[in-house]
Amino acid sequence: MFKDITLGQFYPADSVIHRLDPRVKLAGTLIYIITLFIGKSFFMYIPAGVFLVSVIILSKVPPSFVIRGVKPIIPLIIISAVFNLILTPGNALVSFWIINITSEGIYMAIFMIVRLLFLITGASILTLTTTPTKLTDGIEKGLRFLTVFKVPVHEIAMMMSIALRFIPILVEETDKIKKAQMARGADFESGNIIKRAKAMIPLLVPLFVSAFRRAGDLAMAMEARCYHGSEGRSRMKPLVYARRDFIAYSIILGYLALMIVLRVFGI
Amino acid sequence: MSIVEAKNVKYAYKSKDEDGKEKEPVFALDDVSIDALEGEFIAILGHNGSGKSTFAKQLNALLVPDEGTVFIAGMDTSEDEHTLEIRKTAGMVFQNPDNQMVASVVEEEVGFGPENIGVPTDEIWERVENALNAVGMYAYRESNPSRLSGGQKQRVAIAGILAMLPKCIVLDEPTAMLDPKGRRDVLEVLHRLCDEQGVTIILITHNMEEVIGADRIFVMDKGKVVISGTPAEIFSNVEEMQRLRLDVPEVTKLAHELKNRGIKLRDGILTAQELVEELKGCNIIAQQ
Repeated sequence: MFKDITLGQFYPADSVIHRLDPRVKLAGTLIYIITLFIGKSFFMYIPAGVFLVSVIILSKVPPSFVIRGVKPIIPLIIISAVFNLILTPGNALVSFWIINITSEGIYMAIFMIVRLLFLITGASILTLTTTPTKLTDGIEKGLRFLTVFKVPVHEIAMMMSIALRFIPILVEETDKIKKAQMARGADFESGNIIKRAKAMIPLLVPLFVSAFRRAGDLAMAMEARCYHGSEGRSRMKPLVYARRDFIAYSIILGYLALMIVLRVFGI
Repeated sequence: MSIVEAKNVKYAYKSKDEDGKEKEPVFALDDVSIDALEGEFIAILGHNGSGKSTFAKQLNALLVPDEGTVFIAGMDTSEDEHTLEIRKTAGMVFQNPDNQMVASVVEEEVGFGPENIGVPTDEIWERVENALNAVGMYAYRESNPSRLSGGQKQRVAIAGILAMLPKCIVLDEPTAMLDPKGRRDVLEVLHRLCDEQGVTIILITHNMEEVIGADRIFVMDKGKVVISGTPAEIFSNVEEMQRLRLDVPEVTKLAHELKNRGIKLRDGILTAQELVEELKGCNIIAQQ
């Protein structure tokens, strides 16, 4: 079940999207997410969809890989769709007991599903095409101004990139522990939700213990390699904007402008 | 010139009992003196709990001795202002290859060390290329470390240290989690670095077969150095090694048994080749 998580994993390929400056991709993702929330009608999703699909094609990441990343989020999507379905007031189509299913509710539910799907896919494209190190560099450099307010930008960025790097390792470990516990008779599949949640305890405790041990080891290894924060650190791959980055910025801004115009004219 | 000079090092892990009172300290290192010359291949042998890993951490200033001194290239590890310079001089490779990797791409992983010490960008690339070539992993520079085998990961970890241009590499059981092939590859790289680039290697292990090629061996037990010498000297003392619950190489054991049965063989035979030569000298091998 954990093998499918592609969110936060890098897919190596040689594409224009991979080569873009991470700051461009971060800004692009942020703008893309904002535009998803300014949209009011389905029509707004056409340009968003075109934008997303063209980015996926340009990135050379196989669509199946992108779709796999959405799978683990499906329960979340279903829950929010159900809430929208039963809690939106309006013309009741079906009503029984305290539940009213309205046409507005159906509309909102579908709207929410599409929005979340677009959101997750867009965000996973960022991490699929950007190595954690570049992502860190992008965040660090793009948000450097926050250090004025005493925000430890470098440290936060470093923590993020390490967290991303350890996802596959912890996933593998979870599978291993799960199998080991199953071999000892643990049952993860049967029973109701509460029973199943309780069954996760023998899985989570060893996982946490080992994660802490790994963290200790890693901290020591980093220290042994002279890591001492951002001070006096140089860069192997410094971020320098190229021409394609400015082109990408213009495209992103153009897209944002289009969405704003559509919104203002209320289409 | 001594690159590593540890003199009468004592170190205890302090622990508290349930009432919060300090327990009687147990010395993980008790009067340990070990030195290494530049370009030497040193092995430190010991089974679990012998203090060998604690000693390794002393060499990198991750731990500082309670008593005694550790000098790395003339710098005292207990003085804070030398810490970075010491870590640059004596790099350290740990047991678990997964837990010491920071980046998700091999070349970025190798570049992490040089970045930390502020090496200019062009030079980082040059160092990364050289380091990856030295361990034979250049072809994998764009791979994800988690997709490599254990031996490959450990070679990348060695490259990560090499890129900081250390004079000395300390390896704390680098082969413990590897399969025989990975183990051989890593050892081969270490010997090559020592012979060709003159890097001092301090290999900490409990595997006998790995220390045969070393220049000198220190055997540790219960926080003390109990025997030291060349491999031939160490392994000629089969009974002592067995008393310390350490194995000797199979060939040495065979030679020892033969000697006990009255065949005149010299002590400290380490390889099958040596044994064959020696037996030929005894005219025991039947003429064909």
